Amino acid sequence: MLERFTLGAMIAFQPLSLLMMLVGVAWGIVGGALPGISGSIAMALLLPLTFGMDPTVALMMLAGVYIGAMYGGSITAILISTPGTPGAAATVIDGYELHKRGQSGKALGVSLITGTIGGIASVFILVGLAVPLSKVALAFGPPEYFALGVFGLSLISSFVGRDLVKGAISGLLGLIVATAGTDPFSGTPRFAFGATDLLTGVDIAAGMIGLFAVSEILHQIAEGVDWERIKGKFTTDLPKLWELWKLRMAMIVGIVLGTLEGLLPGGGGAIAAFISYNEAKRWSKTPEEFGHGSLEGVAAPETANNVVTGTAMIPLLTFGIPGSNAAAIMLAAMLLHGLQPGPALFERTPQIVYGLFVGMLIANVMMLVLGFLALRPSIAIVNVRRPLLFAGILALVLVGAYSISNRLFEVWVVLTAGLLGYGMRRYGFNVLAMVLGLVLGFMVEANLRRSLLISLGNPWVFFTRPISAALLAFALLTLLWPIIRRVREDRQARAPQAA
Amino acid sequence: MRRADLLIGLGLLVFAALYFRESFHIVRGFASDRLGPAFFPRLLAGALATLAIDLVARAVSGRSDPAPPPPVRAATLAGVIGVTALYVLVLPRVGFLLGTPPLLGAVIWLMGLRDWRGLLGTAVGATLVLYFVFGRFLHVLLPPGLLGGR
Repeated sequence: MLERFTLGAMIAFQPLSLLMMLVGVAWGIVGGALPGISGSIAMALLLPLTFGMDPTVALMMLAGVYIGAMYGGSITAILISTPGTPGAAATVIDGYELHKRGQSGKALGVSLITGTIGGIASVFILVGLAVPLSKVALAFGPPEYFALGVFGLSLISSFVGRDLVKGAISGLLGLIVATAGTDPFSGTPRFAFGATDLLTGVDIAAGMIGLFAVSEILHQIAEGVDWERIKGKFTTDLPKLWELWKLRMAMIVGIVLGTLEGLLPGGGGAIAAFISYNEAKRWSKTPEEFGHGSLEGVAAPETANNVVTGTAMIPLLTFGIPGSNAAAIMLAAMLLHGLQPGPALFERTPQIVYGLFVGMLIANVMMLVLGFLALRPSIAIVNVRRPLLFAGILALVLVGAYSISNRLFEVWVVLTAGLLGYGMRRYGFNVLAMVLGLVLGFMVEANLRRSLLISLGNPWVFFTRPISAALLAFALLTLLWPIIRRVREDRQARAPQAA
Repeated sequence: MRRADLLIGLGLLVFAALYFRESFHIVRGFASDRLGPAFFPRLLAGALATLAIDLVARAVSGRSDPAPPPPVRAATLAGVIGVTALYVLVLPRVGFLLGTPPLLGAVIWLMGLRDWRGLLGTAVGATLVLYFVFGRFLHVLLPPGLLGGR
């Protein structure tokens, strides 16, 4: 393993890699600071820039964006009580109280240092879990990959909230879009309507830029989303060692809960941050300070949401299942560079996987440095008037979409996906569920047909192989669990009325 | 949202039917497997139709969320989408450098900013930055349009 790390480090420490990671982290901090531009949207906006890059450098840069965005989100959370990213929502509670008490610098400093510690811890957890899991996946054949794809789709039920039907429709729409282009088995054109541009299918990167970034821009334009301007000058004030020692329990809680959340789908750090906040309060010696400007109240959620940056990559790298928006963008970047996540990625291209691991460590250290330097520029960009900001982002989206294949077809795809995504969000459908359908469609269909070809049409092949059967059982449980929970909640809600 | 759910459900039902019908136009290739290239799409069409019927039934029986979605600035949204679509249509003829500043200017204006210096500065500045990053640094072949060459 040491050899592989050395191989990865050799790429990660190249000047171009370091420069691109620096750009990624800086963009992540700025993007994360902008309300509405979450880490995944910041990543989607930068995705087109990675096309011509070495795949390892591209993935390191995107990971840098994700890491930077986690700190960036806390800047506006602390200074104007508006979380830049969903993951920073819990930071508002005590961060803004600290700001009102004139301790903005201290709150920003705690956010930065605990976030860095959480981010570095997450890389070690990522390595510790992803490498052994990838070895399990070596035993996978077509039936197991089909079952894994079905399991991935079943995860939709766990993050769409109460409206399972709309979540399922969103996933189906993604699967339907994935069928356009060419049949994965026989090469026959399918749903291309005679258009040569459609023969290669709908580009996943273009679809994601539209569904994530353009839909958010349209949402902000249509609903007139606005935020306060940040007034005054601020500096980051890092906590002393003894102050940090007092925050140890909050950080431990953040690391444990952030790890669990990263492994589960859909939260993107927000749920982990809130649960960590509550648990840190329970374990704190001074719980009464929570809600009134507690440093622990900033440390716990910021540690947790930064831990998610690493642990969210575990299901992606080992099995190719993206459990969050950011992981979905990473998957799109991998597919764009001809990489298929899974055990083969670890075996055939260790320099990419281990380069990413080392790169994520470096990006966390860069975040610590840039956290100081990028604070004022980030505030300046947050204060740019919204029409100017959105026009700039729109231009970036359009030119980025064009650069995918140097043709306008992808620009239309981005705009259409953006409109569709906006409509879906407005009427309660789920964009991430659609993305999951889009990226898993090929895997599910191709492996279903391959499996049935191998078994001469016998569908029992999925149930007689232990891993495949276990994955399908997990999928069924994952699908049924929200329904069972809902029935129980409804019963509990009715019980007091009856009494 | 009941009315919207009803309309969306009906729309999805029609879409599922059209998608199902289109699957009959797929030519089964010589090297195809037993299931064929139309099997999976038909499975999806069936599932979509079933869920769409459920959506319609919920809306009709009053089980949908009754709260309407928040109001929107429809004119601004339509204007931004309209000028962007127009931009993509004329981009090959006009070119990136000449076509992008008017688009950005129009978007800024539609969003209500009347500061002409900010509008012009952003429209021209963002275009030039993107031209140098994508066109020069990343060697993307941006449409030259009326200017010809690059």
